[in-house]
Amino acid sequence: MVRPVQPDSEMLKGTLDMMILRTLVTGDAHGHTIAKVIEHTSEDVLEVEQGSLYPALHRLEDRGWVSSYWGASENNRKAKFYKLTTAGRKQLIHETNRWKQMARAIGLVMGEQVLAKGGTQ
Amino acid sequence: MSFGRFFHRRQSDRELLQEMDAHIAEEIADNIARGMSPDEARRQARIKFGSAETVRESLWQQNTLSVEGILRDLRVAVRSLSRAPMLWITITITLALGIGANAAIFSIVRGVLLRPLVNRDEEHLLYLRQSAPGIGVADETFSIPEIKDIGSNLKTITKLGTFSQIDFTLEGLGEPREITAGVVDGNYFDVMGLRPAIGRLLGPNDDGQTAAGAAVLTNHFWVTSLHSDPSVIGKTIRLGSDKTTRTATIVGVLEPSIPYPVDTELIANIVTSPHHLSATMVQGREHRMTEVFARLAPGATLEAARAELQTVYASMVADHPDVYKSADHFAIGVTRMHDQINSRAQTILWVLFAASILLFVIACSNVANLILARAVRRETEMAVRSALGASRAVLRRSLLAEGIVLCGTGALAGIAIAAPMVSVLARYASRFSVRALDLKLDFTMVWIGAALALIAAIFLAFVPRLPSLDSSRGMGLASGGVRITRGSTRRLRIFAVTQITASFLLLAGAGALLNTLFTLEKARPPFDASHVLAVNLPVMYYGRTPDQVREFYRDVQDRLRALPGVQNVAAGFAVPWRDTNDFNISLSFAADGARRENGQDDLRATFRSVSPGFFDTLGVPLLEGRDFRDGDKDGAERVVIISKSVADQLYPGRDAVNHHLYWTDGVVKFIGISMEPRRIIAVVPDIDDENIIPAPVMTIYQPADQEGWTGRLFVRTSGDPYSLVPSITRTIHDMASNQPVERATTLADVRAAVLTPDRLNAIVFGGFAILALLISIVGVAGVLAFSVSGRTREFGIRMALGAQPRSILANVLLDGLVIGIIGVAAGVLIGFPFARLLAKYVSELQLPSAVTLAGCALLILIASIAASALPGMRAARVNAAEALRAE
Repeated sequence: MVRPVQPDSEMLKGTLDMMILRTLVTGDAHGHTIAKVIEHTSEDVLEVEQGSLYPALHRLEDRGWVSSYWGASENNRKAKFYKLTTAGRKQLIHETNRWKQMARAIGLVMGEQVLAKGGTQ
Repeated sequence: MSFGRFFHRRQSDRELLQEMDAHIAEEIADNIARGMSPDEARRQARIKFGSAETVRESLWQQNTLSVEGILRDLRVAVRSLSRAPMLWITITITLALGIGANAAIFSIVRGVLLRPLVNRDEEHLLYLRQSAPGIGVADETFSIPEIKDIGSNLKTITKLGTFSQIDFTLEGLGEPREITAGVVDGNYFDVMGLRPAIGRLLGPNDDGQTAAGAAVLTNHFWVTSLHSDPSVIGKTIRLGSDKTTRTATIVGVLEPSIPYPVDTELIANIVTSPHHLSATMVQGREHRMTEVFARLAPGATLEAARAELQTVYASMVADHPDVYKSADHFAIGVTRMHDQINSRAQTILWVLFAASILLFVIACSNVANLILARAVRRETEMAVRSALGASRAVLRRSLLAEGIVLCGTGALAGIAIAAPMVSVLARYASRFSVRALDLKLDFTMVWIGAALALIAAIFLAFVPRLPSLDSSRGMGLASGGVRITRGSTRRLRIFAVTQITASFLLLAGAGALLNTLFTLEKARPPFDASHVLAVNLPVMYYGRTPDQVREFYRDVQDRLRALPGVQNVAAGFAVPWRDTNDFNISLSFAADGARRENGQDDLRATFRSVSPGFFDTLGVPLLEGRDFRDGDKDGAERVVIISKSVADQLYPGRDAVNHHLYWTDGVVKFIGISMEPRRIIAVVPDIDDENIIPAPVMTIYQPADQEGWTGRLFVRTSGDPYSLVPSITRTIHDMASNQPVERATTLADVRAAVLTPDRLNAIVFGGFAILALLISIVGVAGVLAFSVSGRTREFGIRMALGAQPRSILANVLLDGLVIGIIGVAAGVLIGFPFARLLAKYVSELQLPSAVTLAGCALLILIASIAASALPGMRAARVNAAEALRAE
């Protein structure tokens, strides 16, 4: 699971999948790189728990959103690379739209003031 | 879960380990690059990764169907279904009917049509028949000279076996009785490929004039009448036929096998029947009374055998142009025994099978409807579960679990009703094929039921639409009301229309059969048959001269006439509608001074032999002339009575009486009838004693005592005919204690019995159609009820705007009517090509008349309006204020 403030938040299930797909837009990557990229891009707010990463990757592969192949890592180790498929790209667009709607909706409900207050706490 | 991964879990697990090792190695490398010591780097990497085992386990589970998971799904399904017991019961009954009917009919189709015969190498067993379409002979046995001609030096056939049916009076096994038996040659049992249950069968040593009489009992007779008593072997019996009696020893009992072409009690060698040894039988080319069976030579095909037999037969026909007139078109037919036995059952069973499949389609559509309606109601629940993380696969699985529970109970109930159905249908099918007689419930049926249930369950799981991943719908889950999407409604309607279409087809088929039945039932017999009792009084020749036999029958008639309640008594040799099919003796004849068109062959008429008073007894008045009298016997002037059709044909517009006619048929000399001229003494109305719908018939009646036969009594009574049976029997037994008196039935009942297969057809198909209609009514009602409950708000608004409840009711009724109309239209569109296709394979196909079709359509439309009445009334009762508040 992505480990932000609350480690077991059910609400964000599916967001990990979305983020994995997003990461793969820039190019094929193996599990370690994916985790690192998510952590770095979120400025280390999100920490990818490996126990969720691999099941998630396999799930995405089952659904045909990513495909995998064995290759050599930057350090010349044998590693499994994941590649975004066309279906995965569509799914990503879909998920992104949904996410934006949701974020906007929550933003509207919470109001910026409340959000700001929460942020300063 | 993916099936690929399920089957390669081990390999996939190995790859996962490699993948995770690679990950940790990368992490360690990163940590070292950050300046950690190698040990520390390794430790941190491990901590960060967490337990590799957990990952493995969770993936393993992801790729596994766990037993607990399935059980949990089933438990949840049972729990959620028991909250909707009406739905569960409706679906169980519907599926039970669909599955039960299919399982039962399939096991009958399998048992009757597909199961091999017990005969050794049954696919090599052939059955031969000849036909002569030119003289209206469709299906004829062979004569001994014919068998000799076609049976010698065949290459494709190893051996012929012959069988001829004969009625014996049997003495020595219980009460003396008249039995149906067979007389066979020594090859018969070898050709048939049958074995004895006990004792031995007949072989070539039993052939010939000098052999000792020997008989084999059929298994059915041995088991049912003799209680499988093995001591019967070696017993001596007396077999009476053709005015003499021969003795025979019982040498064995046949194994259980299909009796064909007739069900007999015993099968004897030829020496037991004097007739079969007589010159008329052995030399008479036109004396056809022998069935021929053949065994294919190894490696020979049916086609080759057919071709060879046709060649041989053609050369025989060419050798005897006097017998085989070219205009008669004599031909030989060769079929596999297996196909021959099933020839009548084939059509009816496949049609029945088609009907049961239609019923299954209806049942499945109906269940699909109910499930779909339920699923739409549960869309909210599904959406919530989906939002809580249930994947589509999980939702499908829970739907599948419900489907399995529903179909499982349906299948159980179906199998429970299939067992009695098999026995009822087997009795029905036994009218068309003797093979249905020994039909037992077999276990394939259970498998078929289970397979059908599984198909239905999977089908049901894929019927409802799952909440899509579409965000707008996903977000809309909060609204508690039922939202009916266009797609679901359309699907519901398609299923309803399917049901209506299938019901209409079934109904039209049943309608056609009912039509036939009504026409037959409406037909009146040519005389009042309800007060005429027909009694079989088999002729007992043992210890009597022919004159004594004749005297006995005259005495019996005199004594019976003296009984109170008896109006008249007469004798004959064939009971109308019962024996007449067996004694359909049509002979050619000519008449003096009769009109003859040039080049026309002799006319043919049915031969009947009756005693004086026969026409009085039936209640048919003579049109002109006098009845037979006691003086009309052998040695006196030969006389005949003819039917009106014969008179009209011979002497149109003239008086037929006192002209002479004489038989010209080659057959008559074999049955003891001379070709001498006979004076016509009377004309009677046509009495059709074969067909249910009376047709004009050419009949020539001869006196029973003048070259005629007897064996049947006709008694006209004033009161209830059956109440006289005991006194009739007693009177006859007083005269001769061992005289069998059998099958006393009124002619009206005999005639009604002929209709039984038609009546059964109509009942079975009518039953199917009514079942189908009932299920469809439930289906249509379900769809409309669902659509009404979904449109509560709309109705509320319309009512608030001033719509009358009546117009809302009309609206729903119209909905139902539209479904009905579309269904009927689809039925007509599908039905016509289907019927045309069927007519290619089924010759006697009865197509429903336009009136019947219109009637069926009307019934369907009425049914669909009736089905929409309940939901319509509910819609009309919607309270506007409440409906709007509910939202």
